[in-house]
Amino acid sequence: MRRDDKKEESAVFQRVVLKNASPYHYMKVCLVLGDESTRLSAVELKHFIITGLKSLHGEVGAALPFDLLKYDEDTLTALLRVHSRGLVKLWSSLTLLGSYQSQACAFRVLQVSPFLLALTGNSRELQLDEGSASSSSG
Amino acid sequence: MSVDLDQTPRSLLVCDQSSFLDEKNRVSSQVEQLHFNYKVSVLLPECSSTPSHLDSVLNSFSSFYLIRKLPIYELLDKHFLETSVYQGSVYGLSYRTRIDEDNCVALTPDGRLFLSLDKDSFQVLGVEGKPSRFNHRTNSRFVVSIDLTDSSMAPGGRSYQRLLTGLRSRLHLKTDFLLSHHPGGGASLQPLLSRYDWSEHRPEVSSHTLTHLSSPDLQSCDPHSFLEWLGAVDANISCENLSSSFLSSLVCPEPKTTLSRSLRVTICGMLLPQDVHRLIQEIRCYLEQPRLESWVSMTVHGFVDSPISWGVHEHGVLRGGENFYSLLLFHDHTYRLHLATGAHDTCPP
Amino acid sequence: MVRWKSRYLLCEVNVVDRSRLLLLDDRAVAGAVKAAVARIHGDYGAALCSIRFCVKYLNAHTGIVLLRFPKSCYRILWSALPFITSVESRGQKIPCFLNCLHVGGTIRTCQKFLVRYNTQQLHRMLPKCKNEEEKQQICKAILNCTLTGKDKEESEDESENEEDEEE
Repeated sequence: MRRDDKKEESAVFQRVVLKNASPYHYMKVCLVLGDESTRLSAVELKHFIITGLKSLHGEVGAALPFDLLKYDEDTLTALLRVHSRGLVKLWSSLTLLGSYQSQACAFRVLQVSPFLLALTGNSRELQLDEGSASSSSG
Repeated sequence: MSVDLDQTPRSLLVCDQSSFLDEKNRVSSQVEQLHFNYKVSVLLPECSSTPSHLDSVLNSFSSFYLIRKLPIYELLDKHFLETSVYQGSVYGLSYRTRIDEDNCVALTPDGRLFLSLDKDSFQVLGVEGKPSRFNHRTNSRFVVSIDLTDSSMAPGGRSYQRLLTGLRSRLHLKTDFLLSHHPGGGASLQPLLSRYDWSEHRPEVSSHTLTHLSSPDLQSCDPHSFLEWLGAVDANISCENLSSSFLSSLVCPEPKTTLSRSLRVTICGMLLPQDVHRLIQEIRCYLEQPRLESWVSMTVHGFVDSPISWGVHEHGVLRGGENFYSLLLFHDHTYRLHLATGAHDTCPP
Repeated sequence: MVRWKSRYLLCEVNVVDRSRLLLLDDRAVAGAVKAAVARIHGDYGAALCSIRFCVKYLNAHTGIVLLRFPKSCYRILWSALPFITSVESRGQKIPCFLNCLHVGGTIRTCQKFLVRYNTQQLHRMLPKCKNEEEKQQICKAILNCTLTGKDKEESEDESENEEDEEE
């Protein structure tokens, strides 16, 4: 899985290619609830995800370490960090989580990347609405 | 039946280390290769307000135009080709189209038109193309690449006519389109713009001051931890966690130092590589003055849904579609460049 | 033709009271394995366990059990076996644990291994006899063993022959 290509053309120039070497994967997910007035705290959200892991992947799944890096209570959007080996388990259990306290819910996975930086620059978030236009003509 | 749950799609990280004084350094060509840039973010350690030179460069980034519902055959307009495409560099990219579900269009500064089409559209268009490299088993997506500056594509020629009728009377491809021109801006684009609903946009600059930021030792930090730390800074994620914390155990890589005041400047929009290059030069000038911390980091994100990245190589999205590079500059003119791509991408230059 | 590949796990059931081994049956062991997999690996594991998993052979006298798993996922299912602490059979809970002796690709290799393993065990146990007479008695008892069913007889013969050579 891992390959390090090192070629040193001179003492100064060095190029290293790392393939599939990233230790973590990062996910940006959004929780959509049937009743939109429900509020979740960060701890509740993490616990909810762990219950999902436990039902799909059992006790081994529930023991999967992952981090809730950032959470916005208003939009129910969270940034998760998980070891690359656990990505598939976490993602699949998020997909199959269907109810929170007996109300319908779903996780929308907005972006997944092996680099945290990539989640900060998603061009799909670019909003160019009429309001911000500096000039316009028909 | 495959049950290996540990596998993840491939990703690539290329780390270059060199000096601007070395003749072989390729930073400028590497910057030019990423045509469609969405966001640049600069991290200035131990700095409380944007230096005036840097500020003026950031505010002089070229503006770009958004045309709503542009029929793509308009890009083949004879007048547009003569005044804009043949003359200088036009950057064009379809807006709010997703490369994994919609048809996407890109126009590169060297006068090439890229269409990434689903199978139906491709067959309706009836122009020569190639199946996408990222098709899985069945060919569901096709890429058409046309060199508009080629003699066979001169207005009136046979292949030109074929493409024009294909786009005009058969496919009816219409998308919102982002357009920018270098140098000179919009003057040569005016005739095209005036026929449709358009608006001009300036790249949006914003800055944040970060206090008491812990920073890793840049010389000993490995690339992945460095990029993680930089991402945490960009996304406003706290690195002050205990290893026993329930929510998050993200920490700044050791050994670390604390920066009392740092500044993060971001600029968003459709940014041209030329402007990014000017920014790099300005940062180098900024670093020449003696300072407390002698490094600056700059990250450039490409458009996720661009049909091409790193030159004219095909690009897909799969999970994240990330294509970005992060440049770490030091005061002694050495630099470190990290180029990262996702699964549907080629190796960066 | 390509065949479905399987892995056979040869396990021994360890209990405190050997007489209770006789209570075991195929279904009880299969149920215990399925329950353990469902607890440790959740719905995903339970689903894997529903494909071509079965208890191929159970010897209630010796406590030897042969489990068949699909080759593609036997590792994940195997990892749940140590968590079995009891088997419920005929309304009774038998505290036990499974000890995996061998993993084979076919039943044949498992059987061969079992014969070799039993021979080894016998050789380890014979020196513990109190006197020569007892030893003779045991050998005699083994020689008199018969089993209906052809395949089994063969293997018994094999082990007996080896015994004789040793004597």
